[in-house]
Amino acid sequence: MTADTDNGIDRVIPQPLRLPARPRRQKLRAMSVVLATQIALLALLLGFWEYVTGNDKQAAFMFGSPSAIFGFLGRMALDGSLWRDTYVTGLETLLGFAIGNLFGTLIGLLLWYSRFVSRVVEPFVIALGSIPIIALAPIIIIWFGTGLISKVAMSTLSVVIVALVTSYKGATGVDPDQINLMRTLGASKFQIFRKLVVPASLTDIFAGLKLTVGFALIGAIVGEFMSSSEGLGHAIFKAGSLYIIPKVFAALVATIALALLLTFVVGRIERLLMPWRRIQ
Amino acid sequence: MMGQKNGADVVSTALTAATNTVPVIPLIVERVAKSYEVDGKVVPVIGDLSLSLNKGEIVSIVGPSGCGKTTLLNTLCGLLAPDSGRIHWYGREIVGQPQNVGYMLQKDLLLPWRTALNNVMLGLEIRGVAASEAVDRSRAMLDQLGLHGFADHYPSTLSGGMRQRVALARTLVNEPSVLLLDEPFASLDFQNKLLIENDTAKLVREGGRSLLLITHDIEEAVSLADRVIVLSKRPTQVKAVYDIDLGTERTDMMAMRDSRDFSQYVRRIWADLDVVLQ
Repeated sequence: MTADTDNGIDRVIPQPLRLPARPRRQKLRAMSVVLATQIALLALLLGFWEYVTGNDKQAAFMFGSPSAIFGFLGRMALDGSLWRDTYVTGLETLLGFAIGNLFGTLIGLLLWYSRFVSRVVEPFVIALGSIPIIALAPIIIIWFGTGLISKVAMSTLSVVIVALVTSYKGATGVDPDQINLMRTLGASKFQIFRKLVVPASLTDIFAGLKLTVGFALIGAIVGEFMSSSEGLGHAIFKAGSLYIIPKVFAALVATIALALLLTFVVGRIERLLMPWRRIQ
Repeated sequence: MMGQKNGADVVSTALTAATNTVPVIPLIVERVAKSYEVDGKVVPVIGDLSLSLNKGEIVSIVGPSGCGKTTLLNTLCGLLAPDSGRIHWYGREIVGQPQNVGYMLQKDLLLPWRTALNNVMLGLEIRGVAASEAVDRSRAMLDQLGLHGFADHYPSTLSGGMRQRVALARTLVNEPSVLLLDEPFASLDFQNKLLIENDTAKLVREGGRSLLLITHDIEEAVSLADRVIVLSKRPTQVKAVYDIDLGTERTDMMAMRDSRDFSQYVRRIWADLDVVLQ
């Protein structure tokens, strides 16, 4: 369909860009090769680890062994501590992640509104961002106690500045020509914010979200290190002080799984909220 | 409109001659100057520029590279304030953006998260037009520009020519009485450019709209316009004005190029531009 009769005149209709789609099967095959290589690499590493620690008692004590780690994972799963600890740390992380990103993103976006305010606030943000959050842990425990809230506070603090900076960067990175266009269409500042700045910042906001999954988890675990009675950080700390290295690794495996799960969920939400990016 | 400073008084003297024939001239630029400050030095961009755009008229502005054409356009749109001189939209000096003026650049500036249809609807949405009416009008405009069936495509899946058509639809759907276009077709290949120029000419002339087209392309300027204004180097002034007389049927850009006068105009404007290798 390259021509269309419009009042009897042949009129060329522009064609959309249709990329010659790579056959699905070929794409699948490329993906499965990558996956197979990854699994092989992991198996090689674990095999080597198992082999070395199997022949050397001291190495087994110092580094644990994959079989011992899986043993601990199984026992922790059976006695329920694995699920309990993962749930506690997961909840702390999720709350810190959500609160930190909510406020950080909101403030970062709103700073777009006023150049004056953003200039005033900038050095404070930089100062706050440069504080190692661990250094705040003792105060946080004094203020918020040793329960859930202090870990959520640690997690939130680890997240909020990153979220603020990435969303502010997104908001101020909007093409000035695009803003001018909105103005010539008669848009108010709020309309420009809502219809242009916020959606245009989504890419940066989601980059920040993915980045802060790790930060939120670090905050929660560090909080648990300082003082806690449950959680993966607590399990790691306790096993570490008792020199039960495989248990440390077992808790680490659960921590990694938690991080992967959160990152996966964020990726899903991103795909859902930004359907136009799926098409390319 | 807000910020109308005793409009009648200010304009009356300047417009006496013109208002005798045409009631209100859409755009009059009177001795506008604009300079930028770069590293503490004042760099004059627009020297002393006067021009006018009549109702239903297409005027092209050509000038050497870097002569401040875009600065001029942004000043006209109220995005920049001139240092001196006056800009009258429909006989009034206004503060901020003029009403009923459409604006389009070389960059299509489509919002990637909106489909073609939703991009076209942007202006109507901002003005609070009811959604169903906005959809109908936007669809009709896309159809007129040969984009029937592409309403639900995201910009990333459209070709450059189609994206620029969507941008044109976004401008025209607001039914502006004046269009300000800044090199709108510069990034398109020759065929696409010609086709979209044809459509632009048709829609502008049929709608009785006025068009101010800033362009590098002398052939584009001559084939589309009733009048071509040649600008000088910075600080920019009007160097020459050509009334383009290529008959009454002005919507076929290829036919324009066939006429003998066409190449005459192109040659004279080229000479005026005084382009030298640098």
